[in-house]
This record gives sequence, structure tokens and C-alpha cells, in this order.
Amino acid sequence: MDVALRLPLPPPSRTASIPRVTFERATDGELLTLVGTGDRAAFEELYRRFARPVLGLALRRLGDRGRAEDATQEAFASVWRSARSFDPSRGSGAPWLYAVARNAIVDGLRRTPEPVVEPPDTASDEAGAPEQAEASWVSWRVHRALEVLPEHERPMIALAYWGGLSQSEIAEFLQIPLGTVKTRTRSALARLADALEGELE
Amino acid sequence: MSGPNFDDLVDQGLDLEERARLLRVHELLIAAGPPPELPPSLASPPPEPKATLIPLNRGRWRTAGLAAAAALLIAFGAGWLFGNHHGALDVQRTVMMTGAGGAHASLAVLPVDSAGNWPMRMTVSGLPALGHRRTYTLWLTKKGRLQAPCGTFTVGKGTTTVRLNAPYRLSEYSGWVVVQSGTTKPVLKTETV
Repeated sequence: MDVALRLPLPPPSRTASIPRVTFERATDGELLTLVGTGDRAAFEELYRRFARPVLGLALRRLGDRGRAEDATQEAFASVWRSARSFDPSRGSGAPWLYAVARNAIVDGLRRTPEPVVEPPDTASDEAGAPEQAEASWVSWRVHRALEVLPEHERPMIALAYWGGLSQSEIAEFLQIPLGTVKTRTRSALARLADALEGELE
Repeated sequence: MSGPNFDDLVDQGLDLEERARLLRVHELLIAAGPPPELPPSLASPPPEPKATLIPLNRGRWRTAGLAAAAALLIAFGAGWLFGNHHGALDVQRTVMMTGAGGAHASLAVLPVDSAGNWPMRMTVSGLPALGHRRTYTLWLTKKGRLQAPCGTFTVGKGTTTVRLNAPYRLSEYSGWVVVQSGTTKPVLKTETV
């Protein structure tokens, strides 16, 4: 026999202040806030956006690809653990993530220090710490911005800038008309300009 | 690091303000350099670190339910999109490879088929043409060692485009290299920053 239980419904939660948004359109800060509540899907979207920037940062800092990959895993584990401490009123998500990732990479470096090498005889031409930090931050922002590009625009930038292909070679490689390559390249640059607004000032 | 000529990328006829904005992006892209290719081992986020289980209250259960529904919806949408696009634009990933003397290659990984094959289109420039019956081989690597061959090819003058295949679980490997067949020394390898 079925028994119908009549229970009073709980009132709508007043603490659910995070609007449910499509992850693709969510800001980094909104995603971090959701990750802080244990939202795995938000974490995966955050990973999609920042995996390359974090790996790039680790490669710059550590030099060795294997250690950089380990550091990237550790950085994201750290993001997952500490996302609850993110406070959106104190800034956007990207700088917070940058700081957490950098700390995780430095911690990893302390645990497995680089092998000791003989100091070079001549002065290094490498940039000093402030310049390196600035370059790392610019790369971080640019690599993060690249993740906003739709799948059909990203190869235009990658092949033109880092593949060394001309526009007609890209058209041939992707088997699409040259005009389409030009349109998508311009569209991608404009999209990146929007995403990098702060950098362009 | 040098990059493409901005004027080759952007048509004339842009207003000055927009042109300056895009030129600044162009300069930043060159300054930033390429983003690293994610190795297959980093294709997905790390599993959740072990944590203390905290009982969920009703509000949190509701949030978790909504998140699961959203994830399901996204997965369904992604599957639908994936299943409805079969063309030149379905490049899943483009991997850059570089070698000595300016040799380079672009490896376009196409959607996996139902049998587990990852078709790939590779465009190679700058590798020397080898002698009679000598070929190059594309390998998947793991911990710096050749692990799984993805096909052999030869090159001619200029640019060569070949179709190759990786019938493997890519997530088990960390990169790609090209070697002369029968040797282990890479002549091209996955680009890093």
C-alpha cells in the first residue's frame, strides 16, 4: 500500500547567491566560486581554460617538461583544495589562479630541487627577475585569452604565429578557402583584443 | 621571437583605432610565444584530491544536482556537436613540432573513430629527403622513450602533407616525436615554450 507523506517543503535557499550560468560564459571568478562549493564540472571548465597557461608557467620556471607536468597536476589539485578561499570582492579569478599556481610550482621546486650546476663563466643575458615575472604574467594572460577562441579560429593563430605558415599555406593545410582563413584570423585577433582589454591599455 | 607580418594577416581598410588594437594583440602574441601543447597525460584534470567527507545539507544537494544536470547537459551538447560535424574543421588538436635547422611540422589530430583510431594530418617542412627506401616514423612517447609508432612517411622538397593514424589511447602518452625509421634520435619533437 502506498503511503503519501505530506511534508512541508523547505523554503527557497537564501544562501544560493551564485546564479547558474552556462560554464562557457561564466567568468573565471564565478567558476572559482563554484569550485569552492565542490563543483567538479566548474573545475573541469576552469582546467580547460587554464591548463596551458599553468603548464607554460611551470615550464618557464622549471625548464624540465616532466617536472612541469607534475607541477601542473599539483597546481590544479591546489586550486581544488583552496578555491573556497577565493574572494571575488578582492579581484578577478585569473590573478588568484596565477598566484596559487605559482606557489604550487615553487613548492614543488623546493621538494625536488634542480640539480646543482657549475656557475657560468660569463654574465647571463637572461632577463632579471622583474622582467621574467612580467613576461610570465603577459604569457599567462595571452595563453588564457587564447582559450576563448572558438575551435575553428584557434588554429589560424597557432599556425600563423607558431607554425610559420602563411595564410595560403594555412588554407591548404586546413582545406578551406583563403578568404575564410583571412576572415577567421581577423575575427580571432579581435576576439583576443576583447579578452586582453586590460593588457592593451 | 619573430612572427608573421601583421599586414599579411589583416586587410587594409580597418579604421586606425581597430588596426592599432589588433596590432597590439599581434605584438602580445609574439611576446608571449606559443602556449605549450598539453601532453595526453594532461588532457583531463587531476582526480579530486582525497578530502574529508562533509555531509551535504539540502541546499548543497540541490546545488550538486544542478551541477550534475548541467554537466549532463554539457556532455550531451558536446556529444551532439561532435556527432554532427565531420569535415576539415573537426581538428581536435593541432600539435606543433620543431627540429634542427628550422624543420617543423603541424600535426592535426582528427576525431577518433568508433574503433579507437585517431586519424592525423601532418604537414612537414624542412626535413631532408632521405635516400632510397629510407623513411621517417612518427612515434608517441612516454617518459622520453619511443612507445607507439603512428606510421611512416617520406618527404620531398618543400612541404609534404601525409595522413597518419594513432590506434592508441592518447591519454597514456606524453608527446610525439619524428625519427628516421630504425633510429631513436628525434628529428622533430613536440614544441615546448
